[in-house]
Amino acid sequence: MDIFIYGLVTGSILLICALGFSMTLKTEGFINVAHGQMLMLGAYYALGLTYIGFPFIIAAFLSVLFCGFTGLLFQRVLFKPIKGNGILVQLFTSVGLAYMINGLVGAIAGKRMLSFDIPIARVIKVGDVYLVTPYEFMILVIVLITVLILHLFLQYSILGKNIRAVADNQELAKIRGINPDRCSDLVWFIASSLAGLGGIFLGILGAVHLNMGWQQIVMILSVTVLGGLGSIYGVMLAGLLLGFAMEFGLLVFSSNYRTAIAFGVIILVLVIRPEGLQSLWQSKGREN
Amino acid sequence: MEGFLIFSISVLTLAFVYVILCLALNIECGVAGMWDLGIVSYFGVGAYSYAILVAPAAASYQHYLFGFELNPVFGILLAVTMGGISAYLIGLPSLRLRREYFLITTIAFSEVLRITFSNENWLTNGVAGIYNIEQPLKTFFSPDIYLILLFIVFFVFAIITYFIVSRLSNSTYGLSLKALRENESLAKTARIEPSKQYHSVYVFTGCLAGLSGALYVWLNTLIVPTQFTPNVTFFVWTALIIGGIGNNKGAFLGAIFFVILLETLSFLNLSAELALVISSLRIALVGLALILILRFLPNGLISEKPRFL
Repeated sequence: MDIFIYGLVTGSILLICALGFSMTLKTEGFINVAHGQMLMLGAYYALGLTYIGFPFIIAAFLSVLFCGFTGLLFQRVLFKPIKGNGILVQLFTSVGLAYMINGLVGAIAGKRMLSFDIPIARVIKVGDVYLVTPYEFMILVIVLITVLILHLFLQYSILGKNIRAVADNQELAKIRGINPDRCSDLVWFIASSLAGLGGIFLGILGAVHLNMGWQQIVMILSVTVLGGLGSIYGVMLAGLLLGFAMEFGLLVFSSNYRTAIAFGVIILVLVIRPEGLQSLWQSKGREN
Repeated sequence: MEGFLIFSISVLTLAFVYVILCLALNIECGVAGMWDLGIVSYFGVGAYSYAILVAPAAASYQHYLFGFELNPVFGILLAVTMGGISAYLIGLPSLRLRREYFLITTIAFSEVLRITFSNENWLTNGVAGIYNIEQPLKTFFSPDIYLILLFIVFFVFAIITYFIVSRLSNSTYGLSLKALRENESLAKTARIEPSKQYHSVYVFTGCLAGLSGALYVWLNTLIVPTQFTPNVTFFVWTALIIGGIGNNKGAFLGAIFFVILLETLSFLNLSAELALVISSLRIALVGLALILILRFLPNGLISEKPRFL
């Protein structure tokens, strides 16, 4: 039971971290390495805001917003001008951006491990079973709400439909009078704020440090591949699955190999079924 | 010797290690067009092979079982071989994939290897690493002379690698790789077998990366798992992109330029606190350089020359 809950928590944080990454991959068509640093930025924004006196909840909320606007800024200044220069150019611009964020945050905040100033919480106990800490519970609830909102937004709102149209076929979307630039802006905003949220979650459960972005981006890549590149629902499933895989894998392997288990799963999946989980519910005709 | 001279010589010596790594990446990714984000794997395997063969036996507080104190020549040979073998093995599953999928599998493998390095104490002494790996022939020379000697030896290694790689990329083999990069289906009609060519160039890259790993340990005299994070991969890619992807001269100069960019600021005499800030800003500077180059010089400082036009 414990393992199930740990898996759920790990998985849902992974899911939030990977969702935004997957959205940029789907609409912009490249691997945004700076997404990991956006996670870190979110955590540090929140930390900075609590430092100047905001209560934690408000700081977290503002930090998510700030992250969104920072992402929007990056899209306008850095990524819009090089759109269409090839995937490698975009990919390595995001690597450069990742270095810049990491360096600047390091210069300002220092290299020490930090943590949020929140009280230590007790595990909620139902009957004889220990369940989750209130923080973990809150995280699960927020993740659930976020995923629901995102789903409704993408499926039913006009803006969401536009985003999906641009992701599917940009030329066709243009003909229908959809402005791809505005969609890109929106996607960057959403993706970056999701990253900020994920970063804050990671900070609540662990520590806030400079390397968290680099550590997470490899995990995020794995989740995204497992879900099938750019498939948002695949990513949701993959995040949870990997969370469970990591926690259940601990029954067999030592805890030092926690992340290695995840990578092992990825390598296996890629070799057997390179299209990822989304191939499970997509037309069978595309399988080889 | 003067402080600044010593400093610049050691920076350049380090740069030559990166030159070899960068040339290895160039023939794989620049010439053959593969998207490999796992070059640090073979760099690490080579480094550990060298370390285990050359290091003295473990002291009582250390955990590794091996430490043969053998001649470094064997260390380098083993590093090259193991680099190649590991590339062959990793290539078996991952080369069936292309582009993004290949990129992610290779980075995943490099992380699995790094985690293994930091956990298998019997082999690698875990996160504590292996220290005091003696530099070959060190005792015969005064430190100053040895510094220059090291510089020359590494320079020779880099130059030899450069000539091998540029001969190879202009040979029929290199041209077949370029053909695969440009148009795989068309290349197939010219009887170029993608899987065979990709696998062989992958192993070749592994050998070269293993060599540079061995030289890296030779230079540093110690080895710890944190030296082999994906950061190394991204650094080498950055160097290659700054220099000019696909061009061997570009790869050579890009690596030197990059290491100078990264290390110069560390020469300044600063207080500890300021040094910490500067070391972070250095990373930001590298990022800025990468962004600017990609925006305004997307082909790098020296771009690949088109042939047969």
